[in-house]
Amino acid sequence: MKILRINMSTDEPTVKVEDLGEYEGLAGRALTSAIISKEVDPLCHPLSADNKIVFACGLLGGTAAAMSGRLSVGCKSPLTGGIKEANAGGQAGQVMGRLGYAAIVLEGKPKGDDTYKIYINKDGVRVIKDNSIKMLPNYDLIEKIKQEFGEKIACISVGPAGEMKMSAASVAVTDMELRPTRHAGRGGVGAVMGSKGVKVIVLDDAGTTIRQPKDPEAFKDANKRFVAGLQKHPVTGQGLPAYGTNVLTNIINEVGAYPTYNFKEGRFAGARKISGEVEAELEKQRGGNPTHGCHRGCVIRCSGIYHDKDGHYLTKQPEYETVWALGGNCGIDDLDKIAMMDFLCDNYGVDTIEMGATIGVAMEAGLLKFGDADGAINLLHEVGKGTHLGRIIGNGAAFTGKAFGVERVPVVKGQALPAYDPRAVQGVGVTYATSPMGADHTAGYSIALNVLKTGGFVDPLKPEGQVDLSRNLQIATAFIDSTGMCLFIAFALLDQPETNQALLDMINSFYGWSMTDKEVVEYGKKVLKFERDFNARAGFTKQHDRLPRFFYKEPFPPHNVVFMVKDEELDQLFNW
Amino acid sequence: MKVIVKLFGGLTTLKDFQKTEEGDIIFETSEPLTLGDLITSLSLNKKPFIIILNGIIQNELSVSLKDGDEISLFPPIAGGK
Repeated sequence: MKILRINMSTDEPTVKVEDLGEYEGLAGRALTSAIISKEVDPLCHPLSADNKIVFACGLLGGTAAAMSGRLSVGCKSPLTGGIKEANAGGQAGQVMGRLGYAAIVLEGKPKGDDTYKIYINKDGVRVIKDNSIKMLPNYDLIEKIKQEFGEKIACISVGPAGEMKMSAASVAVTDMELRPTRHAGRGGVGAVMGSKGVKVIVLDDAGTTIRQPKDPEAFKDANKRFVAGLQKHPVTGQGLPAYGTNVLTNIINEVGAYPTYNFKEGRFAGARKISGEVEAELEKQRGGNPTHGCHRGCVIRCSGIYHDKDGHYLTKQPEYETVWALGGNCGIDDLDKIAMMDFLCDNYGVDTIEMGATIGVAMEAGLLKFGDADGAINLLHEVGKGTHLGRIIGNGAAFTGKAFGVERVPVVKGQALPAYDPRAVQGVGVTYATSPMGADHTAGYSIALNVLKTGGFVDPLKPEGQVDLSRNLQIATAFIDSTGMCLFIAFALLDQPETNQALLDMINSFYGWSMTDKEVVEYGKKVLKFERDFNARAGFTKQHDRLPRFFYKEPFPPHNVVFMVKDEELDQLFNW
Repeated sequence: MKVIVKLFGGLTTLKDFQKTEEGDIIFETSEPLTLGDLITSLSLNKKPFIIILNGIIQNELSVSLKDGDEISLFPPIAGGK
């Protein structure tokens, strides 16, 4: 596997292909975080030529391993000012792996404002100036790219928000139907790609083959056991395929942890109307599909297809966090309107979590009323158009809170909190506070043990045990994010030691390694160390590992609790 | 004693119960009732895995119920983005 470096600073962008060298053994998040930590000046402006954006497939990217298609996107984040790894499904991770690239790194910055597309196939790399694609929304862009390059490709692209370098801009990845629906959403990675003048990377794996393991028989056997384990587990084998991630709406609402009206209350009266159960039924009735994989080789199939009232494709099945952010958090209980907002976010290229939290802050500011779905849709159009108001909203919750003088702004390190209130689920509060990524549920998904009872149970309403829980999950997640595996495999891994072993056997038989659980922990710690080290050099201190003060002061109904994990305990998270 | 039971995630009862406007089960009994008794009496299609009593996750089936309690039941489920 090689590293492909494209420097955009020169009139004719330069292309270099290098061996992995000092990065040998690293992939996915481990590779993006290592490259950013070692090569990027932590004090650089995130939109400057000194920043880099790295796209990396996982250890098993491009192999026959099930679930191995995740793509890591890393850079210095314009939203947080710290290191960022945002992660997406879709086809690009696998195609990159088959093309033989462990990472694609965009470096430098063009002097003018020309727009480029990059085409990569087995024969090499072409960087093509094309100003006709400038400012196209993602769906229109991909239609145009299809006409030029055919349909057997995978694309990584930015919408207008990325080109306008908004801090909430996402990087879109195409799915199995070649739609730009899977996004590396968080931290403004789209703005960094936009700053490089690159609108789209087209990956064409025609004429390539899957990567071959060192021990094919052992690999095949391990993959078989791994898939059987996922299919046997009730979460990955039944719950997620049937209802998708939005199955969480009802349960998080019932436990009183569903942040509503900009994190004021833990229950939303309209929750059932926008739940996964209702969403799946609606999709079936309208000819959509509630059970669908976001990339080839997915056996969990938690994604889906959402049709409008007339039975036409509207968007992919909005995920739980999207339905919460643009729905419940804003007091909106209309699934069709939420689905429209999901489409707009994908099309303009912005993070749905950041946008929902931002609109919640705008509602708190009185810019529009809670529950005003059409007003929220209009705000997203403002973002797409790049009006002055749109540029405020498109820069996220913290920026919007400042612009409108709002005190209650739910962010950590400048990044908006996702769909679980840290007062009612204290473990995820620890993750939000301490993750090098800013508030990010996926960095250490304590909900698994605090609420869903996979891998054990830790009382969500008490501070005890949450730091240990979050630490263990953050370490394990840093490893999983480096394998290219979908994080949802963790549910089966937590409960079934044999499935965990099957994953290790798969990696070991592929590379000829003899990795044990102990080395998995060391691998995860190494990734977190790269990230913490970068953030420390960027100026982050332990005072940045805190939640906004209102979470410590405002009791959260219905349980009327505040966040109770002490600062000194938070500071112990990385003392392993 | 009257308690309200909410079923989610594909859980259904095989019996006919009086329902609230939202479609939740109204379970009435004159006998003392534990959480375990209630779940047995509901004749559900699947065994509930996540049990929430008045908004709190409850792992102890021997807990006694009281008038007005709200119970939410789920099979094993999960999510995230």
